[in-house]
Amino acid sequence: MIIKQIGLIALLFCAFNSFSQVEYPADQLSSELKNRANAVIRKMETTVDMRAGDNVIMNIKKVVTVLNKNGDPQAEIYLSYNKNTVIKSAKGIIIDAFGKATSKFTLSNFTDHSAVSDISLFEDDRVKHFEPTVLSYPYTIAYEYEIRFKQNLMIPDWYASHTADVAVENSSYTFICKPEDKVRIKAFNYKGEPEVVINEKLKSQTWTVKNLTAFKPEPYAPDPENYRCHVKIAPEEFNYYGYKGKYQNWEELGKWIYNELIKNRQTLSPATIEEVKALVAGIPNDKDKARKVYEYVQKKTRYISVQVGIGGQQPMLASEVDQLSYGDCKALVNYTQSLLKAINIPSLYCIVNAGSLKKDMETEFASMNQGNHIILCLPLKNDTTWLECTDQESPFGFLGSFTDDRTVLACTEDGGKILRTPALSTQMNLQERKAELVLDAEGNINGTMETSCGGSQYDNYAQFVNQPMKEQLKLLKTTYDIDNIDFDTFKLTQDKGSKPVTKESLQLSIQKYAPRTNNHIYLVLNAFNKKRTIPEVRNRTLPVFINRGYTDIDELTYTLPNDVVIDFIPQGTEIKTAFGSYAISIRKVDKKLIYRRKFVLNDGTYPADKYADFADFISSVSSYDQVKAIFKTELAKN
Amino acid sequence: MRNLFFLLLFFSSTTLFAQDFEYLKVSQADLNFTKTALDSNANAVVLREFGTAAVRLDDNYGNLFIDFEYHVRIKILNKKGFESANITIPLLTNGDKEETISELKATTINYTNGEISLTELDKKKIFTEKRNKYVTFTKFTMPNLTEGSIIEYRYRLYSPRIFNFRTWEFQSNIPKLHSEYIAMIPALYNYNVALRGAQKLTSQNAELNRECLRIAGRAIDCSKMTYIMKDIPPFIEEDYMTAPSNFKSAINFELSDYITPTGGKQGITKEWKDVDYQLIDDKSFGGQIKRKDIFKTLLPDILKNATDPLNKAKAIYAYIKHNIKENGFIGIYSENTIKKALETHTGNTADINLALIAALNAAEIDAEAVILSTRVNGLVNTLFPVISDFNYVVAKVNIEGKSYLLDASEPLIPFGLLPLRCINGRGRVIPLKKPSYWYDLTASQKETTRYNLTAELGKDGKIKGILTTYSIGYAAFNKRKRILASNSIDEFVEKLDESMPKIKIVKHEINNLDSLENPLIEIYNVEILAFQDINHDPLFFNPFFIDKTTRNPFNLNERTYPVDLGSQSEQRVSISLKLPGNYTLADKPKELNIGLAEGGGRFMCTTSLQDDVLVFNQLLQFNKPIYGPEEYLSLKELYSRIIQVQKTDIILKKQSK
Repeated sequence: MIIKQIGLIALLFCAFNSFSQVEYPADQLSSELKNRANAVIRKMETTVDMRAGDNVIMNIKKVVTVLNKNGDPQAEIYLSYNKNTVIKSAKGIIIDAFGKATSKFTLSNFTDHSAVSDISLFEDDRVKHFEPTVLSYPYTIAYEYEIRFKQNLMIPDWYASHTADVAVENSSYTFICKPEDKVRIKAFNYKGEPEVVINEKLKSQTWTVKNLTAFKPEPYAPDPENYRCHVKIAPEEFNYYGYKGKYQNWEELGKWIYNELIKNRQTLSPATIEEVKALVAGIPNDKDKARKVYEYVQKKTRYISVQVGIGGQQPMLASEVDQLSYGDCKALVNYTQSLLKAINIPSLYCIVNAGSLKKDMETEFASMNQGNHIILCLPLKNDTTWLECTDQESPFGFLGSFTDDRTVLACTEDGGKILRTPALSTQMNLQERKAELVLDAEGNINGTMETSCGGSQYDNYAQFVNQPMKEQLKLLKTTYDIDNIDFDTFKLTQDKGSKPVTKESLQLSIQKYAPRTNNHIYLVLNAFNKKRTIPEVRNRTLPVFINRGYTDIDELTYTLPNDVVIDFIPQGTEIKTAFGSYAISIRKVDKKLIYRRKFVLNDGTYPADKYADFADFISSVSSYDQVKAIFKTELAKN
Repeated sequence: MRNLFFLLLFFSSTTLFAQDFEYLKVSQADLNFTKTALDSNANAVVLREFGTAAVRLDDNYGNLFIDFEYHVRIKILNKKGFESANITIPLLTNGDKEETISELKATTINYTNGEISLTELDKKKIFTEKRNKYVTFTKFTMPNLTEGSIIEYRYRLYSPRIFNFRTWEFQSNIPKLHSEYIAMIPALYNYNVALRGAQKLTSQNAELNRECLRIAGRAIDCSKMTYIMKDIPPFIEEDYMTAPSNFKSAINFELSDYITPTGGKQGITKEWKDVDYQLIDDKSFGGQIKRKDIFKTLLPDILKNATDPLNKAKAIYAYIKHNIKENGFIGIYSENTIKKALETHTGNTADINLALIAALNAAEIDAEAVILSTRVNGLVNTLFPVISDFNYVVAKVNIEGKSYLLDASEPLIPFGLLPLRCINGRGRVIPLKKPSYWYDLTASQKETTRYNLTAELGKDGKIKGILTTYSIGYAAFNKRKRILASNSIDEFVEKLDESMPKIKIVKHEINNLDSLENPLIEIYNVEILAFQDINHDPLFFNPFFIDKTTRNPFNLNERTYPVDLGSQSEQRVSISLKLPGNYTLADKPKELNIGLAEGGGRFMCTTSLQDDVLVFNQLLQFNKPIYGPEEYLSLKELYSRIIQVQKTDIILKKQSK
C-alpha cells in the first residue's frame, strides 16, 4: 500500500523532478499568450494534500515568464504564515530569455515582515517576501514552496488566474485526501469534470486549465467570481486550533460556530446585567429596548481590531468588552447580543461579506472563508431589524452600502440560516438639492442651499460627522471644489429614524462664478453636481454591471441681475435608457432662471455589447452637465 | 532657527533634579478641562508632557546608553480624539544596538458624577510587532475610553545609540499645554543643539549636576538642560509642502565631541573638515568611491562608443542605471558594497550612486559625492554639520567647467536632472581630496509642456487635425512613466483614447520614449466631435479643451507655510483652426496677460481670426520653485482668473457674402 501511495505522488510530481533541467525559453511562447500580457504563467501546479485534519500540505510549483517591467510583481513571492500556517520550504531559480538558469534562491533570501493591516492594532500574521532583480526582459522565474496548515477548516480557494494582464499557459489544482474522507467540492466556471485517481490509500482530483489569454480590466464589470474559474473545498470533518467539528451545510456550520466559538463568550457580570435591565426598565416594546441597548453600546464602545487567538474567528469575551470598552466586529456584535440576551431579546450573530460590492454567501455551498464582517439581526415579529455594531454613529436598524442587499449566515443555537439583508433601491438612494442663488452684475453668486441624502447616500457626509466647524468648512471645499467658493454657514443634521436622512444646509458665495467677456456673461448652470465621463471600451468582453443605483435631483434657482438680457438659454433635454435616465429643464420666470436636473442610475446587469450605449449615455450626461446660459450685458446693448 | 551651544564651564552648580509630575495625580482643572483657547477645534489635548534623557553606564556590559523616560497626560475631548489613545512606540532594533522598553504603565482616568475611576492597561494587551529588520513597534490602546477621559502613560526606553540623543518634538497633531524636556549630558560629551520650528521656548535652564555618572571609578559631572514650551498649537499639514519636520517645533541633539576617559578630546561632528575625513575614511562611503579597480575591466566595453568626457560620463551613467536596480532603501552609506551591488544587480541608492562616482573616477572624469536630505526627510542644518540629517547621496560630475548632478537610481530621469525627491535646499559636496562645500540642489530643466494643434473644422462638426505634445523635465519623466505603465505604446494610446469619449485618436506616433535627453514628443491625428450640428448661428466654441484647469489647487483662505512646487514650470497651448466658410469673431475670451509679483509667474491668452483661421494661444508659467506663504493669495488669484476665462467662449457669427 505504501508503495502505491508513493507511486501516485511520484506521478503527480514527476514533471518537477527534473526541475533544474527544464528550460523555459521565452521565445517558445505563442503570440496569443503574449498579447496584452506583462507576464505569462507557464506552469503552475497547486497540490493540496489533506493528510490529516491538522496536517494539510499545500505545494505550489510555479514558472512565470515576465515580459516587461510591469510584470515584475508577478515574479514576487509572498508567503504568509502564523501559528497555524507553517512555511516548510521554498526555493527557486531565475532563468534568462534563452532558457539558461542564472541564479538560485532559497527561503533564506526572503525578507520577513509583519502583515498587520492598517485597520488593525495587532494581528498574528507575518509574511516572507522575495523579489528577484533581473535586468533584462523577458526572464523566467521557476519556484516551488510548501506550506503546512495545521487545520482543514479553511482550505484556500483555488483560482486559475488572478490578475489582469497575465496569461496562463498551464495551471492545475490537485486535491488529495483519503478515499474515505468526505469532502464537499465545488468548481465554479470550470468546463468538464476533474480527473480522478483513486486507490485504497488515496483519492486525488485534478482540475486543469490551459491557454488562458490575458484579460484587461474593464470598468463596470461584475464580481470576478461570477466568471473566473475557481474551486472551493470543504471537508466534512475538520480540525481547527484543537477544535473538532463536522458540517455539510450552512445549518451545521452555523450551529458549530455558535456553539463552539460564541456561546461561551457571552457571560456578563451581574452588575452589568442589572445595569442593562435598569436601562430598559419601563420601555414597553422589544424594538425600543433594543434601540436603547444599541445606543448604549455605541456610546460606550469603539472599534479596535485585534486579530489574535484562533485565527481571528472567535470574539473577545463579552465581559472583556464591557471592561475595556472596545472590540472588533465580532466582539462588539457578541457584546450587544449578550446585553440583549440579558433582557430576553433574541438576536442573531450574522457573518457577512462586507464591502461596497454586493457579495453573497454562496447559498449552495457552505464553507468557512466566505465572510469578513459580523452584523447583528433582530428577528422581531414582522419587523426584522439589522444592526451595524462597529459604527458609533450608525442609525438603529440601518445597514448602509457596506452590507446591504446580500445573503448572510446567521449563526444560532438551532443551526445556521441564510438570511438576506434589506436592499437599498435606486429610488431610496436619493440625493435631493435645492438652491436659491442670486447672481450679481459682477458674476458673483450668493445664496442658500439645502441637500438631503437618503439610502446608500446617507453616508455621503460620514467624514463630516463630529468634526469641528473649521475642519468641516475645509472638507466642504473639497466636496464642492469650485474656485472662490466660500461658506458662511453650514449645518449638518442626521435624522436617524426608520428612513435615515442626512441634511446639509448652508449659505455660500462664489466670487466671479459667472465670468464676463467684453459683452457677454457666461453662467454654467449645473454648479454642484457634474457627472464625469466613463472610459469607452473597445471589444468589451464582460457584461455591464451596475452595482448600485441612485437618484440625484438638483434644482437651482438663479435670480439674475437687472441689467442683463438673455442671449442664449440651452434647451431642456430628456434621455431615457435601460441604464437610467437624465432630464434637465431650464425655465425663466420673471428675473429668475430655474435649472432642474434629475439623474437616475439603475442597478443591474446588461449584456457586454450594451457597454457602448452605457458609455454614450454617461458621456451625453457629462456634456449636458456643462451647459451654459449666456447673457448680454447692458454695455453690449449700447 | 536658533542655535544653542553648550558652554559647560559656566553652569552654576546645583543639585536640583528633574521634576516629573506625579502619576495619576490629576487636578480638578484637568478633570474639568473642556476646551482650549489654543485651538477650539481640538479633539484631544496634551495637558502635560515630560521627558528626560540621560547618558548612563550600563553596569552589566560596561557600555554607555541613553536612558529616556517619557510621561504624558492627555485629555480626550471627543470621539475623534480616541485616535490619540492608540499608541505606537517605534524601537530601532537593528543589529546589536537594540533599543528596549520597560516600566510601561498606562491608565485611563474617568470622571463621572464627581467620582474618579481608574482603569489600568492590562500588560497582556501590549503588543510587540516586529515590523521589519530595522524596527519593532510596541503598540497598545487605552481601555475603557469615553469622551472626557484622561489618559496617562509612561515608559522608559533604553537606547545604545548615544550619537543621536533623543529628539524632542514639542509640536504634534494635537495641542499641548505644557511640554518639558530635560537632557542630562555628562561633561564628557558635547552636543550641538538646534531648535526648529516657529514656536518659542517658554523657558530654558542649564545647571551643573555634580557626579552624575561614574566611569571607570571616575566621577563625572553632568549638565542638566531644561526646556519648557507652553501653549503649543497643533501642527497642521498643508498641500505642496516639504517634510513636516522642517516646520514642526522640536529640539535636536547631535554629538559633536567627547572626552575619552583618559582625558583626550575626540571630535565627532564639530567641523566639516572632521566630517569630510570621517566620510572619506568610512568603508561604506569613501571606501566605496575609491574602488575604481572594479571598473578597470568593464570600462573599455562601456566606453567603446564614447570619445569625449561628456559622452563617456553619459555612457557610464546609462550603464550603472541599467545594471543596478534600487532595492527600496535609501541612504548615504553603501548597504552591500558596490562590488556586490554590481554582481547582484541590486542595492540601495547609495550603492548605485557611489558605484557611479567610482566608475566615473575610473574613467578619469571628475566626479564628487553630494550628500543631501530628501524632500520628505526635511532640510539639513547648514550652520554646523549634523550628519544624521542627510539620507541620500548623488553624484556631481564636472566636465569642461560645467557641473551635472546625477542620480542613477531613477531609470527614467535624463542625464543632469535629479529626481524631484532630491530637490531640497542645499547638498554638501564631499570630494575625495578637497574640503567639502555646499551646493544648491535645483532642477536643471524647467517642467515644460507644449501642445500644438493644427486642425480644420469640418461641416460635420468634427475637428480633424494633428495634436503634437512636447514634454521636458519632470513633465517628460511623468509622461514616460505613464506610457511605460502600459505593456506597449499601442495599449497606452488605446487607454488614452478610451478615456476621452469625444476625441478619437486616428493615428499616433511617440518619439524619444527611450531617448531621455530629448523632449518626449507625442503626435496624434485626432478627430474631435466639437458640434453635433454647426448650422447654428452664432456658434459657441470653447477653445480651452486641452489640459483645462478645472479646479483651483490653492483653494484655501490662508496659508502658514511656503508653497513648494519643486521646479519651475511652463505650459503652452497653441491652436490653429481652419473654419468652414466665413465667420466673424462676435466675442472671445478676454485677452489676458497677468503676472505674479517680480516675474514670479504669468498667464497669457490670446485669440484672433484671420483668413478663416482661428488662432488661439495660452501660456502658463511659474518661474520659481518655491513661493512664500504671503504669495499664496496671488497664486490663488492667478488660478481663479484662469478658471474664469476658461469658462468663456469664442462666439462665431456667419458672415453673409
